[in-house]
Amino acid sequence: MSLTRIVLIMLLFFYAEGTIFYWLVPDIWTNRLVPHFALAFVLFAALYRGRHTSLFLGFAFGFLQDIVFYDKILGAHAFAGALVGYLTGLLMERRRSTMLMALTMISLSTFVYDNVVFFIYQVFRLNHLDYDWALVSFMLPSVFLQLGFSLLIYVPARRWFENIGVKKSEEKEE
Amino acid sequence: MFNWMRNRRIIVLMIVVVLFVAVMGFSISDRKKLTWPENFILDASGVVQHWFYKPAGYIAGFFEDIANLRHLYQENEELRKTAAAYARDKNKYNFIEQENQRLQAALGFTERQKNMYDYRYLIAQVIAVDNSPINQTIRINLGSKDGITTDMVVVSIDGLVGIVSKVDPFYSNVMPITQLDEKSSVSKSIAATVKGKELLSFGMVDNYDQETGMLSMSRIAETDPLAEGDTIITSGLGEVFPKGMVIGTVKSRQVGDYGLTHTALIDPAADFEHLTEVFVVEVPNAKESAQ
Repeated sequence: MSLTRIVLIMLLFFYAEGTIFYWLVPDIWTNRLVPHFALAFVLFAALYRGRHTSLFLGFAFGFLQDIVFYDKILGAHAFAGALVGYLTGLLMERRRSTMLMALTMISLSTFVYDNVVFFIYQVFRLNHLDYDWALVSFMLPSVFLQLGFSLLIYVPARRWFENIGVKKSEEKEE
Repeated sequence: MFNWMRNRRIIVLMIVVVLFVAVMGFSISDRKKLTWPENFILDASGVVQHWFYKPAGYIAGFFEDIANLRHLYQENEELRKTAAAYARDKNKYNFIEQENQRLQAALGFTERQKNMYDYRYLIAQVIAVDNSPINQTIRINLGSKDGITTDMVVVSIDGLVGIVSKVDPFYSNVMPITQLDEKSSVSKSIAATVKGKELLSFGMVDNYDQETGMLSMSRIAETDPLAEGDTIITSGLGEVFPKGMVIGTVKSRQVGDYGLTHTALIDPAADFEHLTEVFVVEVPNAKESAQ
């Protein structure tokens, strides 16, 4: 699996976020379950590839999110994505994380990501949501969604990121 | 050596943070035109999102239709009643319109004044939605090539949905009215009035409470006849937004923060979830008055 192919898959999931996934969720839940599918891949990159890859991916997909849904501000998601990707990589890249550890880190990092975006919007006085309300109404449900999603893609995503640069012939020898 | 590396890392970090703050600060300002990289990414994404959104909507809509089959008979009955009422009103309307035209001609209205309320409704398909409460955005498949500009109003069949916030050549981003925020540094407010009491009533719809799902209308005069159950529409004063777009119904009215004016809570008429088609309202001379 090359990085280009992974990026293509991430793009596919990114575009599914605001379209297919949006239609899968019933009306009452649309404002509560905010998908971060691309971010899940970024965090897998941090865990099984390295902090620089995830920094780059986090920035790129964050910026894509910023531009595509540009309403008030550019750069909030890019900053949060790059930061969370890098920090997770810094903490975890040296160890070979187990599944439980990986899922915990992904949930935690997603939560941090949501918080960073939330506070950037607060600092620039772009919205005035109550933090407690935001926490209960969409941040925590989104973390659980992220947990479920990363559980689903855990096996393939881990294999893809660990095998970056490994040629097909070598894979066969294993 | 190690120390120097550490220092360099901190310097790089600081430069990056400063750059980010600069980009964010720049992007907040009211930008009418986007640069070409932004346009390129927006258009390219729009194409992909359009492929994804439409089939998903059709499939979900099919199941919804099956669920709605039972209510069809009732709906038909109601529609028939409305059609009869419409036919009656149409005669009256034609008469009044002709009268109005005759009077306008007699009073020497200019061409611009005559066409002031000649709104064009452009149908647009929704191609993607960002549903995060922090930054709700709806993307539609009309852009500056179709004559869309920022601050155009977007409505659904039920009522006002939002305001066009960013435009690229083939697609545009709509800020739903659920993002209105009186304390925000960039939010807008919409001049509103009561349907049937257009000349007596006035207020500004400027805030949406995410927790209760209610819009609020402020700056209502104490003597205003606005009452519970009234339908709130846009007033069109200021000539940027069109007039007569339904915003919602009044739920309650109370004295405002400073005791001088009243505020009212409004239940929005439009359903913001799972939209497929919306209309962009083109005001004939909005461009001139905006400049």
